[in-house]
Amino acid sequence: MNELTNNHLFGILISVAVFYGGSVLRKKLKRDFINPLLLGIMVIVAVLLLGDIPYENYMKGGSVIHAFLGPVTVILALPLYRQRKLLMEYKLPIIAGILTGVISSLVSVILLCRVFDLNNLLERSLVGHSVTTPIGINISNSLGAVEGITVVSIIITGILGASVAPLLYRLFRIVHPVAKGLGLGTSSHALGTTKAMEMGETEGAVSSLAIGVAALTTVAMVTILQLTGWY
Amino acid sequence: MKIFKQLLIILAISFGGELLSRWLSLPLPGSIVGMLLLLFMLFTGIIKQEQIAETADFMLDHMAFFFIPAGVGVMVSYHYLEGNFLVVLGLIVISTLVVMMLTSLITQWMIKTKKKDERTDQ
Repeated sequence: MNELTNNHLFGILISVAVFYGGSVLRKKLKRDFINPLLLGIMVIVAVLLLGDIPYENYMKGGSVIHAFLGPVTVILALPLYRQRKLLMEYKLPIIAGILTGVISSLVSVILLCRVFDLNNLLERSLVGHSVTTPIGINISNSLGAVEGITVVSIIITGILGASVAPLLYRLFRIVHPVAKGLGLGTSSHALGTTKAMEMGETEGAVSSLAIGVAALTTVAMVTILQLTGWY
Repeated sequence: MKIFKQLLIILAISFGGELLSRWLSLPLPGSIVGMLLLLFMLFTGIIKQEQIAETADFMLDHMAFFFIPAGVGVMVSYHYLEGNFLVVLGLIVISTLVVMMLTSLITQWMIKTKKKDERTDQ
């Protein structure tokens, strides 16, 4: 088994296979909570554990895919640029909303981690849970935290945010499309944006704008925390 | 050919971000510097969005694929949870709800007060 899996091809092959499989399943069953990424991760972990295949073998190919995180982060500038008109139109509410969201995310994570007495490594791994995955991984790495936990927490956040948004908005009487989109994009990144797009065009556009702005704001805040010696 | 040209631009900016981050010893990671670099180039017109659109959109639409290896890392790092899986899950739920609620409430409130101001101005 080792000769078969200890090469670059294995990791790439299994990653493509599970992602394709997950995407097909999602389309066939038409269920939003089927997330090809989360499903893919679970299947790969199961295959590695059951087949007694070392993690390092998978990562030979995995690291090739992982290397694209940089370019993927860079192109997040594009959706942000495309929504520039909307940003200009609602400058103040958008900036105020996102700033509120980012700060409440950091404060709630830090506070809850200390209340529940979780170790510092977990706290560092979770501070970026509302941020889009490539940048969340970045934050996790720059804080010396645990990438895997960060990624899974980000996916859970996205699935949760997208599914509770309609109820939460009804409960708090959020009716303005900009407010709806901003809440979804800031709290639950790309997965939330899919839901925002279902709600309407403006909601979707604002949400995709919020992904980039919220992520950059979070990076700025975390950098400040680092420079001031908090982390 | 087009795809390669677009990929070249994206990879070059990405690499440029890494270089800038290192040379100027910025506190920001290279990929974030690259994102800001691309944003700057788009706004100044040095790069037109058509020059990267197809490749960038393909990567954006299927972004999740690139996170698989990082996620699989959970198999070697789950022990950091120290059995606190449910606590962490609860934390994520609370934090996500708080963020969504506060963000949308503040935004809606700001938009409403702005409209009221405009009306009283007239």
